[in-house]
Amino acid sequence: MAGANSNFQMTDLDFNNIKTSLKTYLQSQDTLKDYNYEGSALSTLLDILAYNTQYNAYYLNMIGNEMFLDTALQRNSVVSQAKLLNYIPKSAIAPSAIIDLKVNQVTDASLTLPKFTTFISEAIDGVNYNFVTSDSITVNVVNNTATFNNVTLRQGISSSIAYTVDSVANPKYVFQIPDAGVDTTTLVVSVQTSSSNNYSTVYTEASNYLTLSSDSAVYFLQEGIGGLYEIYFGDNILGKQLSDGNIVRLSYVVTNGTSAAGANSFVLMESVNGYSNTTIYPIAAATTGAAKESIDSIKFHAPKSYSAQKRAVTKEDYITAIQQNNLGFSFDAVNVWGGQENSTPVYGQVFVSVKPSGAYTLTTTQKQRLIQEVIRPISVLTVEPTIVDPDYTYLQITANVLYDTKRTNLTSSQIQLAVQSAISTLATRNLNTFNSTFSATDFSTAISNVNPSIITNEISIKLQKKIYPNLTGPQTYNLYYGAPLKRGQFASGVSSSPALSFADKNNAANIITGVYIEEVPSSTGGVDSISISNPGFGYTLPPTIQILGDGTGATAEAVVVNGAITKINVLTAGSGYTNAIAVITPATGTTTGVLGAATVILEGRYGTLRTYYYNTQSVKTILNPNIGTIDYTLGVITLNSLSPTAVDNPLGQFVVAANPTTTIISSSYNRIITVDPFDSGAIVVNVTAKT
Amino acid sequence: MANLQKIYSDIDFTFTKKPVTADVALSYDEQAVIRSVRNLLSTKNFERPFNPDLGSNMDALLFENISTATSISIQKEIETVIQNYEPRATLQKVIVSPYTDKNAYNVTLSFYIENATLPTTVTLLLERNR
Repeated sequence: MAGANSNFQMTDLDFNNIKTSLKTYLQSQDTLKDYNYEGSALSTLLDILAYNTQYNAYYLNMIGNEMFLDTALQRNSVVSQAKLLNYIPKSAIAPSAIIDLKVNQVTDASLTLPKFTTFISEAIDGVNYNFVTSDSITVNVVNNTATFNNVTLRQGISSSIAYTVDSVANPKYVFQIPDAGVDTTTLVVSVQTSSSNNYSTVYTEASNYLTLSSDSAVYFLQEGIGGLYEIYFGDNILGKQLSDGNIVRLSYVVTNGTSAAGANSFVLMESVNGYSNTTIYPIAAATTGAAKESIDSIKFHAPKSYSAQKRAVTKEDYITAIQQNNLGFSFDAVNVWGGQENSTPVYGQVFVSVKPSGAYTLTTTQKQRLIQEVIRPISVLTVEPTIVDPDYTYLQITANVLYDTKRTNLTSSQIQLAVQSAISTLATRNLNTFNSTFSATDFSTAISNVNPSIITNEISIKLQKKIYPNLTGPQTYNLYYGAPLKRGQFASGVSSSPALSFADKNNAANIITGVYIEEVPSSTGGVDSISISNPGFGYTLPPTIQILGDGTGATAEAVVVNGAITKINVLTAGSGYTNAIAVITPATGTTTGVLGAATVILEGRYGTLRTYYYNTQSVKTILNPNIGTIDYTLGVITLNSLSPTAVDNPLGQFVVAANPTTTIISSSYNRIITVDPFDSGAIVVNVTAKT
Repeated sequence: MANLQKIYSDIDFTFTKKPVTADVALSYDEQAVIRSVRNLLSTKNFERPFNPDLGSNMDALLFENISTATSISIQKEIETVIQNYEPRATLQKVIVSPYTDKNAYNVTLSFYIENATLPTTVTLLLERNR
């Protein structure tokens, strides 16, 4: 619009701009002149026109937004766009726990634990949650006891619904699952021929459309317009079509989402085939589960899932496929790498490490299922997937905080709590996943931001490895700290807790308790530094430094200032030295320079660990002078043939702590750096007041 | 070309048609300004899209108890709206007198329109109707 020679912004969505443009148009005529006066009838008409234009433009803009996955805001639109990418948004995933169940005083030869047998958990935040068995299990009865091992319980209540097929009322054969909290991984669909014919077929979810035929008993899953899941059936070309009178039965678990995470104590709510004398042994606490997939998550995962095309070739393909698994496993983090990247390359293998939600590792059965049911069907034939457990390195963070009492009315313990919480929050956000980096500076900054009264702070860290030693026989443990370690003695070196017990070598019946591990500084290695004992005088050029000893390869150069040797830099450390001297010779062509002398200080790349205890006279006694080694450079501690008889910890957990030389610690491959939320000593804050 | 001499021209809100051309009737100059003032007074605040200040609070004031105090408020309201939104009218006087028998107010407005030597006087009866 607008005058012939004027610029008109067609794309304007703003009311005032649209109205201005209408006014500009009216300037080109003189029949109606009052468009500039707000009270005029013309102005009122312009308002209506502009309002209408703006309203339509806004509406069209919104429609445009909803048409694309990146800009859509409504769940319906996002789900619909994702459907084009063959992506089904994940339903809520029920937390799952594992128990062993013993049913006593059974007189039958075998016993079946039916599917959906109900258990109730202990109260979590004041609520007891229902759990149900996910499958029916039958075992033989031995000595009047039926033992069900590794029974998986899923949080939720069982639900079922039946629909009678009516092609007139429901020509597309779409059947809704009326519960918003359904865990679709538990969905079982069966189709009964008719009300008078009880023959029933179980339909499975269609996954690979290439293999479907007109006889395939499959159903298709989708999220419907209202956010509820729906299933629909084939058309006798892709999948078997239903006929009128068929009865579609859906049974599934409706979960409360993630709130039951951690439940580990269960009570059976019904008898098992009439037997109610039961004992329950918890094996694994309930995992976190997952809430229904969010809009953001769908937007993120749908294109990636599409690009993977249900094939696992690249690293991202694996990650997407594992995250999207339909086994009901939920993961906080997944990492994948090729075997050729390992320190000892393994070709033709792909390594997968997963951190399950609410647990540290997967069980052996879960790993097998993940490989066989999720990875194998889509991975390249010649590539062998291997699941490795995450290797956790625990951080023990000590923060010393100085604060000004005049600038706050918080008490020192309140400051301490606030700092603790800041460290914990940052650790949760930045760590506890694969490929993360701990930086002391980040934590220091976070602490400074806690309260303006904090003047300064310093952070020191220790790295801990937690192992569960084998108490029945000797075993070698390799502990990877993922950072170079500091040499030290006693508190500044490698330390261990709690106390171990060992059998006396000379008398196996004699058990020595209160045994700890400490570091013996070793001196086998290269040249660490060269210290000057006499700078000498008269050197016009830097003299030649020759390192003589039983090792090889060490070189160094001297720095001369005003005729005296001020510094000797080690160029290469060499290796294999147990003793060495530095010979100082004046540079070629000069004979001046005398009396320069220096001492070689050797480093130990490898340290030795020993075990000690205090005997009955409280004298420190070495039990084993060489229980293991420390590779300071690679940050690896090896405990050789450790064979304790007991660990002074109810869980049998043994901690080996070491000091890193750096405060930037990165994790890669299957390593996870984390701050143990269950360890009250993981974050120590010392607050000092400056008055 | 009589129209060229007209300073102001606006559509007539009655949308009557001209007898000869069957075109929409227009109002000119003084008439256009009077129409505009009436329009402003009958527009409530927040009625116009994206222009909430346009108009007056007259509607609410007419439902107040009829009194001299209210008539002063009405007078101020009329003055404000004309000064703010009708630059063509230079206000000379606004007289608002209560007409208690009819629960209404007699309003006499007197203003100068640009280039006019004599003031324009408008008499209105403001009456609440719903």
